[in-house]
Amino acid sequence: MASFLVRNALILAALVLLPLFLGEFWAYQLGLYFLYGLAALGIGLTWGQVGILPLGQGMFVAIAAYLTAYGLFGFGTSPMAYLVLPAASVVVAVFGFAFAALVFRGRFEQGPSFSLMTLALTLAAFQIANGWSSVTGGFNGLRNIPGLPGLDGFLDLYHLIAVVLALSIAGVDYLVRAPIGVLWRAIADNERRLAFLGYDVALLKAAGFAVACGLAGLAGALYAPQQNLVTPDLAGFAFSGDLVIFAAVGGRATVLGPVIGALVVGVLSAELRDRFPWWEIVIALFFILVVLRLPGGLMTLFAPLRRLSLGRNAVPVPLEAPSKPRTASPLSVAFEDVRVRVGDVTILDGLSVRTGEEAVLCVIGPNGAGKTSALNVMTGVLPKRGGRIVIDGLDVLRPEPATVAGKGVARKFQTPSVFPKLTIDENLAVALWAGRWRLFDLLRPSLFGWTSPLLEEMRGRFQFLEQGGKLASALSHGERQLLELTMALITEPRLLLLDEPCAGLSHEETSAVIEAIQWARQYLNLRIIIIEHDMELVRRLADRVVVLHQGRFLADGSIEEVQHNPEVQAVYVGGSR
Amino acid sequence: METLLLTQVINVVYEVLILAIIVLGLAVVMGLLNVLNIAHGEFIMIGAYTAYVVQKSGLPYVLAVPAAAGVCGIIGLVVERFLIRPLRYEPFETLLATWGLGLLLRKLVELGFGRGYRSVEIPVVGSLNFFGEAYPTYRLVLMGVSASVLAGLFLWYRRAPTGARIRAMVGNPVLAEAVGIKTRELARNTFVTGTAMAGIAGVMIAPLTPVEPFMGLAFIVNSFFALVVGGMGTVAGLFAGAGIIGGLQSVLSATVNPTTAYLAMLFLSILFLWQRPRGLFPRP
Repeated sequence: MASFLVRNALILAALVLLPLFLGEFWAYQLGLYFLYGLAALGIGLTWGQVGILPLGQGMFVAIAAYLTAYGLFGFGTSPMAYLVLPAASVVVAVFGFAFAALVFRGRFEQGPSFSLMTLALTLAAFQIANGWSSVTGGFNGLRNIPGLPGLDGFLDLYHLIAVVLALSIAGVDYLVRAPIGVLWRAIADNERRLAFLGYDVALLKAAGFAVACGLAGLAGALYAPQQNLVTPDLAGFAFSGDLVIFAAVGGRATVLGPVIGALVVGVLSAELRDRFPWWEIVIALFFILVVLRLPGGLMTLFAPLRRLSLGRNAVPVPLEAPSKPRTASPLSVAFEDVRVRVGDVTILDGLSVRTGEEAVLCVIGPNGAGKTSALNVMTGVLPKRGGRIVIDGLDVLRPEPATVAGKGVARKFQTPSVFPKLTIDENLAVALWAGRWRLFDLLRPSLFGWTSPLLEEMRGRFQFLEQGGKLASALSHGERQLLELTMALITEPRLLLLDEPCAGLSHEETSAVIEAIQWARQYLNLRIIIIEHDMELVRRLADRVVVLHQGRFLADGSIEEVQHNPEVQAVYVGGSR
Repeated sequence: METLLLTQVINVVYEVLILAIIVLGLAVVMGLLNVLNIAHGEFIMIGAYTAYVVQKSGLPYVLAVPAAAGVCGIIGLVVERFLIRPLRYEPFETLLATWGLGLLLRKLVELGFGRGYRSVEIPVVGSLNFFGEAYPTYRLVLMGVSASVLAGLFLWYRRAPTGARIRAMVGNPVLAEAVGIKTRELARNTFVTGTAMAGIAGVMIAPLTPVEPFMGLAFIVNSFFALVVGGMGTVAGLFAGAGIIGGLQSVLSATVNPTTAYLAMLFLSILFLWQRPRGLFPRP
């Protein structure tokens, strides 16, 4: 916390004092680049942290600028004019949130689709601003916009802009270090995993985008009194492109990078554009270089400095996480005549099976029997074509990963699915927070100190979890399996789905997993469904075995009963039914 | 009245065919290689400038076609080698890189030719009497050429072994390599073909539009969203996209106004990106 305050106080002091050395002309110029930096700051947040690139932020700048222009015309010299600035910012933030929440609802993708939609939106906004002359002033824009009351000259306004920028930088700095920042990076890393932990990924993404839009809105709101002029160019393709270039050149992965990019590119352009016609070619080449070789942008140059910086982040105080409500019974699941087809291939052909009294249910069957698909259709990865899936007595019509997880279902995938770019501690924290956080918790750094008895137990069993600062991408395959199992367990589910949990594990690791599962079933009173080929593991864990074949239920019973079933034997020795 | 209607119909057909030719290069690069070449419009622009230079030098206009294909093909070759291949043909990274490339090409042309408009004279003057209505001959020539190029390409892609190799490479690059398809050369050739086609499209439309460094932006928007609506990597998608976007633009421009036509196209594209991001006829 101390380092956070020191860092941001230094930035504030630097920004406010800068004109003392540079004079009034530069106060005007820098004020403008600060506004570009403000908008680029938001792009850095969505692109560098959440992993979604907005290509049309100019539109949000423009809308806020037009709104503010009207506000300033209306209020004149009344101090109420100051309310217009935050109001305009909030309006575009809400618009951005609604748009993103709508678009991201119910689908996982970070492909270019969203980026292109924002591009199309800003192209449309430009046309509307250009054509709707009665409101926007058309091509010439709105002129003679009054300045803010009580501010005299460029220097006063400069100071206001500098303070707003410094506070915004501090705000974004806080957010990316808060729990929500970890969740944003988790989205960029592996959003499916996050959804399977029960998080509403669409809302988290929309929240990140809304912050970016709010910052673009602030930039636009201050732009109107700073330039006394608003034209459709703000919504133009070129301006939005410039903002992206600022963020990329400065370094999108850091908080300060996009601001520095805007300042460096902006100031150098103003100085060199007229003297050297090829200056913009240099910018274009540098941008291409950043895409090709230097994803960290200019901030890469400052990376060595960061090691020198004072005050490492303090170790959070350990704190018992809020306990999850215990329920009397494990979750029950029933498949009734469930059918799944993908293209021409029938995957589940009227599967009917239900959980009973047993705690551990093992599902076996030859490859292609539909074992993993059954879990997929239940957790909303595959759409069903018919039949009913009843979870805890409720017919789930259209299961989705997050809603199923919300009912208390945790899933561990066949190939381990963790957040490779997050540390072990962050991976565990994201899982531990799931289903336990309340509104505003995601802004509290104290969440990093959360722990639970179950987590401590797992740390004791799997020693590598103690190396909390290590990136998950640096773990071996086996360790990632164990990490994901731990993440699934510490959500304290009522139903745990394990898909070949011991695939690729050594003999010792397999034993450790079996012991951990046996311990967890006592401790948590949960139900576990395991898909497994390893009969030794099935023998040691299963209370009941279900055999699937060609997308249908074939047999069930104890392991001995199943092994002596002639139909099962026929399937496994290759005969046909 | 009937002849007027006929002219309108011809106009719509003309718009659709021209858009299809403009989209073609992008359809090849984006549909087959998944490279979102945002600089596609700049290749068209360079093709148009090549036509301008050829005409100014007093050479026959037809020579502009191989010249533009050559110029854009060579630029495409360099771009593929130093930009697209190092980025492993990743859609998102190449989108960014070609965004920068577009900026670079615009500025280079601006440096060489200045910002002002250049006009290219129509190589085939006069008009033909078409069912009692005069119609510019050059437009008719363009329609004929476009239709035959598209038809030829369609047949070639379906029949020729190269078409099958490209489909194999797109479907499974590793397996394609394993069965002896030189995927690196094939991808490079496909990319270069796409940029050369953009150059040729530039030659075709140069006489009909002011030639200036920023002219490419309008083309990339139209062609890009035509592919979004139509679907990538299929011939049906190319025709459906060009038909819907070109037809919509042409009809709305004639009946309401061009701004409304443009806005309608953008909102249709947003709708598709949202609800049907793979378009009407995506590659299976």
